[in-house]
Amino acid sequence: MKFPSCEDVEACASAKLLRSMAAKKLRRAQLSQELCERLSRCQITTCQDFLCLSLLELMKVTGQSYYEVQKLLCKVSRACAPKMQTAYEMKLRKSVSPSSAFLSTTLHSLDRVLHGGVPCGSLTEITSPPGCGKTQFCIMLSVLATLPLSMGGLDGAVIYIDTESAFSAERLIEIAGNRFPTYFDSDEKVFCMTRSIHLYRELTCCSVLQRIMSLEEEIISKKVKLIIIDSVASVVRKEFDTKLQGNLAERSNFLTRGASVLKYLAEEFSIPVILTNQITTSLSNGPEIQADLVSPADDLSLSEGASVSGKKDSGCVTAALGNTWSHSVNTRLILQYHDLPKRQLLVAKSPVSPFSAFFYTIEKSGLVLQDGKDQTNLIWEGTNPALQPIRVRNTALKDTLLSATLPSTTGETSSNTSDL
Amino acid sequence: MQREVGSLPLAPALRARLAAAGFQTAQELLETGPCGLSKEIGISKEEALEALQVVRQECHGDAARTAGGSGATRKFTALELLEEEQAQGFIITFCSALDNILGGGVQLTKITEVCGAPGVGKTQLCMQLAVDVQIPECFGGVAGEAVFIDTEGSFMVDRVVDIAAACVQHCQLIAEAQQEEDHLKALETFSLESILSHIYYFRCRDYIELLAQVYLLPEFLSEHSRVRLVVIDGIAFPFRHDFEDLSLRTRLLNGLAQQLIMVANDHKAAVVLTNQMTTRIGQSQSTLVPALGESWGHAATVRVIFHWDNSQRLATLYKSPSQKEATIPYHITVSIAFGVESQRGEHSGSCKGTFRHRDKSENDVCLFVGLPSEGNQ
Repeated sequence: MKFPSCEDVEACASAKLLRSMAAKKLRRAQLSQELCERLSRCQITTCQDFLCLSLLELMKVTGQSYYEVQKLLCKVSRACAPKMQTAYEMKLRKSVSPSSAFLSTTLHSLDRVLHGGVPCGSLTEITSPPGCGKTQFCIMLSVLATLPLSMGGLDGAVIYIDTESAFSAERLIEIAGNRFPTYFDSDEKVFCMTRSIHLYRELTCCSVLQRIMSLEEEIISKKVKLIIIDSVASVVRKEFDTKLQGNLAERSNFLTRGASVLKYLAEEFSIPVILTNQITTSLSNGPEIQADLVSPADDLSLSEGASVSGKKDSGCVTAALGNTWSHSVNTRLILQYHDLPKRQLLVAKSPVSPFSAFFYTIEKSGLVLQDGKDQTNLIWEGTNPALQPIRVRNTALKDTLLSATLPSTTGETSSNTSDL
Repeated sequence: MQREVGSLPLAPALRARLAAAGFQTAQELLETGPCGLSKEIGISKEEALEALQVVRQECHGDAARTAGGSGATRKFTALELLEEEQAQGFIITFCSALDNILGGGVQLTKITEVCGAPGVGKTQLCMQLAVDVQIPECFGGVAGEAVFIDTEGSFMVDRVVDIAAACVQHCQLIAEAQQEEDHLKALETFSLESILSHIYYFRCRDYIELLAQVYLLPEFLSEHSRVRLVVIDGIAFPFRHDFEDLSLRTRLLNGLAQQLIMVANDHKAAVVLTNQMTTRIGQSQSTLVPALGESWGHAATVRVIFHWDNSQRLATLYKSPSQKEATIPYHITVSIAFGVESQRGEHSGSCKGTFRHRDKSENDVCLFVGLPSEGNQ
């Protein structure tokens, strides 16, 4: 397999900036024709080129006086600067169409804590060890997005970028049929729903980035209301080995670029974007090392050491992709193991919610929250979302061996073989 | 003092011609007059007149400066500065411990940088300050407006609504308790709508939009003269990718810092920037340091770092010209307004916020005032 070079990734990504305001030609910034011609002789054609020069350089290339150049600077800035809106106007706009401000997950306690559900217009990340339910959650949300507004959905199409080939259409139909049996009573409705979920299989960083950048037109033509990328971590970790020099910076570069394109899409169309992430072991006195998920044995041994001793120097299992990526996502949900079959959902980072934890199980109808008296949904024990420790499977393994009956966890065993 | 021709802010081509014709000082130019000038260097009379006007303006500016009047460089005695500093207001953060380590709150005319790990509360603080800057003077605020420049997209209007509602409620309680007339009068204009309408929001998607917006700030602040706070949430984000040329990045950041210092001084506004943390790989360990490099550390006057210690959030004052380095713990309280009415009567008992006027013995480190809810008790 050919690994894309750094230049390929750069080339893909730099094409995006050219479509933004910065690439606006100076002609359209209402500068005089003569001035534009003079500037283009010095290779200055876009607003970006103009604003990156210092005042003295500008004076030289335009041949104008200091005060004139300042006025020109203001003119060009006005052409690029964003429009102002007051917070009041933003609130009014939201209250006009309240249902489109979030995608309800139908997990009531979670929706309550998140003030409605997965927020539109920002990036939400779901991190978990393998087999905990990320893909299940994504499939469930895909179904929800296609539902009509009256049922809490977004009445739109879904773009599902699958990098692990973990998506199972049969599971999709199973979840839909079991969660909303009254709605999906006819084949017609089921086909309608499946037709609006568009699946793309991308296997390299470069192709993922290219796909993301081509989404703008697809979103408009297909009336997409949800973007899911499952998972970002798998492509990135295949190609960037952070032990090699320079790769950490390259990886950060790729991730921040991807994040800014996705944020642009999320805000422009007011839709939620969901990304999934994997786990890694971070040793507190050394640089992060990647848990090698290709061989489960290694994974177990690493996390074994981590969970048994809670001491600082043995490190802990946290979300992968580093600190910069934790800054880029707006909301982070962590799924982790508890006593099987119960698992735990943590709201680790959210601008509207404190750190919260819920128990859930995976059923035929997708994720189901356990509402109970032992539900402590407001715990002030969260820590840095980039370093929040995550419980992995083997700690619970001995419990499953003891308990004789395993409830039906059909979803995760049959279709998510590639989670290992 | 004779000003040399080469130092005048004229167009370079014009300067070159003047130098070639032998002009050396500004005085000579003024004596020649527009017609003479146009004949000597071969430019049109209008251009000569324009050039002379620029020269005259510069010379007047020089004269005014040497006489000690207002101009680009200002002269003060330390006593005048002291009086100015003491009269200046602070923007309180509603966390008395944080205000104390900052010396009273976020200072006007200074750049304050808030660095922190993800999810630690930087955007929350910025939203809180955007509301707090609008508190009327009789309640201890600066009665200003706020500009919010967002590069990361983490501004949540709903959260601002919660914070603003809580702030209004607190002021109402104070007014009820103290029953002074100016309090009640101020409350008439201090409402949720007015607070939201005076937060001017700009969403900058990349560094060019950010640069453009900062160039336009002086003009904007002249039009909206009541603005006392400029927040740039996420100064690091647009500069962390798309830059192969690091020297260009340093130059642009320095230019940005200069512009912001000018804006802060000329318009008596506080500038608050938030920065990310990045991992610096040392020989045997990796540490978290503020992003954008060492040279950026010089840009801000006051630097506060928010970090975690297990599950406790801490704020450390890292750099300040007048306050000692200190670390305090804080919390972010949440208003769970989803389907709960606020209960005015029981407010003072269960509320977790704090004002300077009423110091609570427990929890006096709470940062953001929230409405009480049944879940909290």
